[in-house]
Amino acid sequence: MNKTDKMLVGERTFCVLLVLASLVVFYLAYQISGFSSINSPGAFPIGVALVMIFSAVKIGVELIGKAKPDCSGWLDAFQQFRDTHFPRRILVFGLLAVAYLAAIQWVSFYVSTFLFLVLSIVYLRKGRVLNAILIAAVLLVLIYLLFSLAFSVYLP
Amino acid sequence: MSDTLSYLLMAWSDPQLLMLTALGTFAGIYIGAIPGLSVTMAVSILVSFTFSWDVNDALALIVGIFIGGVYGGSRSAILLNIPGAPSSVATAFDGYPLAQQGEAGRAIGLSTVMSVVGGIVGTIMLASAAPLIGELALRFAPRDYFLVAAIGLLLVGSLAEGSLAKGIFAAGLGAVIGLVGMDPVTAQGRFTLGQVELMGGIHYVVLMIGLFGVAEAFYQLHNLDSPVIRQKVDKILPSFAMVLKFLPLSIRTSIIGVIVGVLPGVGGDIAALMAYDHAKRTVKNPSRPFGKGAYEGLVAPETANSAAVGGAYVPMLTLGMPGDAVTAVIIGALVVHGLNPGPMLMVENPHIFYFTVGNLLLANVFLMIFGLMGIKLFAKFVEMPKAVLIPLILVLCVVGTYSINSSMTEVYWMLGFGVLGYLLKIFGFQMGPIILGAILGPLMDTSYRQAMSSAGDNPMELLQGLVTSPLSLILSAAVVLILLGNTPLLKKLKSKLSPASARG
Repeated sequence: MNKTDKMLVGERTFCVLLVLASLVVFYLAYQISGFSSINSPGAFPIGVALVMIFSAVKIGVELIGKAKPDCSGWLDAFQQFRDTHFPRRILVFGLLAVAYLAAIQWVSFYVSTFLFLVLSIVYLRKGRVLNAILIAAVLLVLIYLLFSLAFSVYLP
Repeated sequence: MSDTLSYLLMAWSDPQLLMLTALGTFAGIYIGAIPGLSVTMAVSILVSFTFSWDVNDALALIVGIFIGGVYGGSRSAILLNIPGAPSSVATAFDGYPLAQQGEAGRAIGLSTVMSVVGGIVGTIMLASAAPLIGELALRFAPRDYFLVAAIGLLLVGSLAEGSLAKGIFAAGLGAVIGLVGMDPVTAQGRFTLGQVELMGGIHYVVLMIGLFGVAEAFYQLHNLDSPVIRQKVDKILPSFAMVLKFLPLSIRTSIIGVIVGVLPGVGGDIAALMAYDHAKRTVKNPSRPFGKGAYEGLVAPETANSAAVGGAYVPMLTLGMPGDAVTAVIIGALVVHGLNPGPMLMVENPHIFYFTVGNLLLANVFLMIFGLMGIKLFAKFVEMPKAVLIPLILVLCVVGTYSINSSMTEVYWMLGFGVLGYLLKIFGFQMGPIILGAILGPLMDTSYRQAMSSAGDNPMELLQGLVTSPLSLILSAAVVLILLGNTPLLKKLKSKLSPASARG
């Protein structure tokens, strides 16, 4: 069996979610002005929603010919999906990113950026704290020079 | 005649204008190359600085930034697989595989030369055919705009690797995101979920940074432990034979670029995608398969997006309509300086037209000089360990998003789009159609409603217009052909015809 003919773990569930999301888009588009007129503010959005539903169903139909992934049951599929696409590294980096955005408003842009850069570099490189502090400091100076001085961009 | 020549050479002979054009081009290359910084953003910020300047000084700097920025996007597309601008989306298709194979230097060198070829063709066509092309664009009815946008979306959908359905779904999703906010006609909220903050809509740059910056950063985390590919940048200057080999294709794609650039609202992004599609369909024996490092796949979008700059100036200078987002900002700058872009500009201030033509040519000369320099330095940036580069990309995405509207809410949206993009990427969806959908969706909505209004809300009359107007008929035929070209119907037809012809 060709590798490309094999379904990815979670692909079927994702496809169902696409159909559901398209139906939600259709509902929201219908709520704009219903089917009141062919030229209403909601007419084009309804058309787009129908295209989305059609293509989501087509994506699902394309899955029919594919071989199922090697997993037994929902729990196993979920674990495989998590291990393949959301390993600990991505989850931790994602959490650091969210914490960074939240910290910008609490402790200023420069402090939060410095902390985010140090923590994420240390985590991703598995150590070398001093090195990470030095790199983060250099990057921060470059960001200041480029954005604040050269481009006068408003920083958070 | 002598006046025209002096206007043309104004930027070349005045040291201050010469310096400003050079500075603009140099800065533009790096602005375009840095993911998260867009040319539109840079020009918008610059316009506010240059209000008190002389109009020629302001235009010289802006032209430089525009030319440099459109090209600069290709550098990050080739080296990072993160297009610096929507017009560089197609460049990444083959540019990044080339970098992965250690040919980053040659790819950048070739893209520089070809960008200059495209830029020069675009400028020459702007100068010689502006009145003619302007007249053609003037004849476009709203239904034609709708069809052109539909062609753009279908093309980008067909570019989606593997599945047209995925490409169309992605374009639809982008269109829905683009439609969020207040309806421009009735001021009614659409897809706002009752949130006042969403009434202003979601800026497509926020979406672009999320999908191309954050999603890519998350995706790159999988390859953290893989050794950094040393970008081979020693052979920057492409050989004359290589340039000559791709010259016919570059001229063809430059013409596509100019024509698409002329269409108001449709810029280098669609020009590049259409040119890529043209190359894919017409080049029978590419240097490598398309999508795996074909030089033809690099040449086509790079010439087209640069040529589209010249094209974008045509409706701006002759009709007062922006060819793309950057020319929309430039229109604002001209108005601030007391000029009235439109048909009367050529009559009242002809020097602006010829000065712009001369200045565009000069900016392309500087592009050649700066484009072939400093690549090694930029490539060093890419050799930075991914553990450092990925957090830095995220910081740049935050800065870039915040600088649009100084809104932290948009920064959160950007992160959300990044996660969504990562999920879609896992299941083989391309990011390009989403961005194009977000840009073209609102354009299609507006032109659809204008077309329907002009047909008296009668769908039959609208359909009649599609077949009775020669322009609409050509565009409708193109839509049908692209649709058919992506269905098994055409393949079946071909397979039926080929044995028949073989027998015949």
